Amino acid sequence: MTYLPLSPAIITDMIGSLCIIVLSFLALRYAWLLIRKQPENFLWGFLFYFCLTLATFAISRATGHLLKHILLFSGNQEAWRIINPISGGANTLFMISLASVTIYYHKGIEGYQAINRKAKSLKEAYDQLEIAADQLQGMNLHLEEMVEERTLELSASEKKFRNLFNNSKDMVFFSDATNHLLTMNNAGFEMLGYPVEGPPDLNLVDIFKNEDELESYHNVLRSQGFIEDLEVEFAKMDGTGISVLLSATATYDENNKFSGCDAIVKDLTRIKTMMAQLAASEKMASVGQMAAGVAHEINTPLGVILGYAQLMMDDFSPESEPGQNLAIIERQTKACRKIVADLLKFSRQSESAREDVSINEILMDVIAVTQHSLNMDHINVHQDFTQDLPPVVGDTERLRQVFVNLVNNAHHAMEQQGSGDLTMISRYDSTTNEVVATVQDTGHGIPEKIRARIFDPFFTTKSVGKGTGLGLSVSYGIIQDHGGRIEVESPVTNKQSGEKAQGTAFHIKLPAVLAEAASVRE
Amino acid sequence: MNITRKFNIFALLLPLALLLAPNQAWALQVHAPPEGIYIHQLAHLFFAAALSYLFWDVRRSAFPGKGWRYLQIFCVLMILWNILAFSGHWLGFHIDNADIIRSDGYFSSHIIGPISAIKFIYFCATLDHLLSVPALLFLFLCMRSLYRSIDKEEKK
Repeated sequence: MTYLPLSPAIITDMIGSLCIIVLSFLALRYAWLLIRKQPENFLWGFLFYFCLTLATFAISRATGHLLKHILLFSGNQEAWRIINPISGGANTLFMISLASVTIYYHKGIEGYQAINRKAKSLKEAYDQLEIAADQLQGMNLHLEEMVEERTLELSASEKKFRNLFNNSKDMVFFSDATNHLLTMNNAGFEMLGYPVEGPPDLNLVDIFKNEDELESYHNVLRSQGFIEDLEVEFAKMDGTGISVLLSATATYDENNKFSGCDAIVKDLTRIKTMMAQLAASEKMASVGQMAAGVAHEINTPLGVILGYAQLMMDDFSPESEPGQNLAIIERQTKACRKIVADLLKFSRQSESAREDVSINEILMDVIAVTQHSLNMDHINVHQDFTQDLPPVVGDTERLRQVFVNLVNNAHHAMEQQGSGDLTMISRYDSTTNEVVATVQDTGHGIPEKIRARIFDPFFTTKSVGKGTGLGLSVSYGIIQDHGGRIEVESPVTNKQSGEKAQGTAFHIKLPAVLAEAASVRE
Repeated sequence: MNITRKFNIFALLLPLALLLAPNQAWALQVHAPPEGIYIHQLAHLFFAAALSYLFWDVRRSAFPGKGWRYLQIFCVLMILWNILAFSGHWLGFHIDNADIIRSDGYFSSHIIGPISAIKFIYFCATLDHLLSVPALLFLFLCMRSLYRSIDKEEKK
């Protein structure tokens, strides 16, 4: 090749210059749109300034090149010679500017990355905050449900223990370290005889009858931390004592210091009564056995004495002194035999019938027999019989004897007063399935000290010759033989008013025969 | 006379002395003719270095999307353009004015033979738009791609 034509270079340069201007402005347009869309984005800002500088450089260079070609085409070499350094200088200046802007990218990108990091961390923090808020909301919701559930449980538990506290038949109380009673249930106030409505402010000192027992209670409670089944006597409102069984647990505060006690108290009156009745029953049983033995031993010699006395009476006239003496022997021997027969009845050694018996009929028979003599002493007889009373199984004659004994005793108790009221009551106690017959008088009553002995054989308060002291013993034996009980109440407590009235009431309680059982037996 | 006063007088006299006797001070430098081309060449190098840094940093940052790949291509092409332009300017010193004949007008200008490597490279350097135009095309594509991706994201 001998030469290289520069015409392609001229053409390329001219077209290229135009293209460069167009392309640089198109790039600048999109850079402008980018910063318009996201003005806060530093990276787009950098690209915009880069494109702007590049467009300036492109105009400078392309214009210079085009001008050069135009001037040289038109033969104005001199003009180009003057313009050339200016155009070259401008090109250099804009190229350096473009390079500077490019270098500045470093800072731009750092800023952008910093912002990005910050934005990312903020977004993460926001996301975490949202998650935490959701969790918190969930927990809050769950917490509300839990609180509601626990409150219901607590309420049910509180109700349960409140019912136990209120409905307990035993005394329950809470006291503080100074023995002051903080709370006591109604049963406790009732047990001590205090009014349930507006009860007084009590201290343990008020309810312990004996100071020694209170001291002992304190010592044991503080040393052991609890007390189990301590038998003490409490003082009732009226000053009388009541035997109780006390169990208590000491309570302590957060510093483990004694702060009081929780206690449950059981009334022992009923148990003690039962114990006394049991002891009496045991005693009566042993006395009955002894009486049966004695009766058997005496019965034979009495029979012999009576037999020989009656034989001898045939040998003497009744008017003669020996005849009269023999008559006395015969009479007294018969009296002895009656006593022996009574003893045997008491000890249940004698035969008895078993049939369905109406207590109402027996009571009416007894009233019919005794009413005349009662009226003679101005004693009024009252009847309070429950109709349709279930029958009891027993011996009519022996049961009649029991009620006759009781009516006679009542008669004797009211005899000296010159007047009185005898009340015969019959009723059915469905809770124990017993027929209860009551013989109640308004006599002088039975003193407390002899009440435990009234059923003892040969115990009597009547003058000599008026009673053998076997009436109640025999009655006791007969009722026991019928599977029943005798309870005595003196003075008598009015069921409605609760007031106590002078007199005595004997309650005979016999097991009732249900209609079905009676029909089967028939 | 205290030290502050002495300093104030010195500060007033120094600019005056520089104005009155400039030849004695080395503050003024005469810029001889080749300086312009040197500065231009240094500017090419500076621009190429700046583009290299931009290319490296964009690549290192691994921004996602086509736009950033187009920007890298733009950087590479513009670096090559800078090298070509730098070479063209440099080789221009080694070509005599007599080697370019314009006897039949400007458009019929040509480099006379024998064609050496220098002359051929110089000729190629005059075709530098074959690099710069595609470079600018990729810059345009880059900006358009970035804009469209942002627009698309926003429309979501």
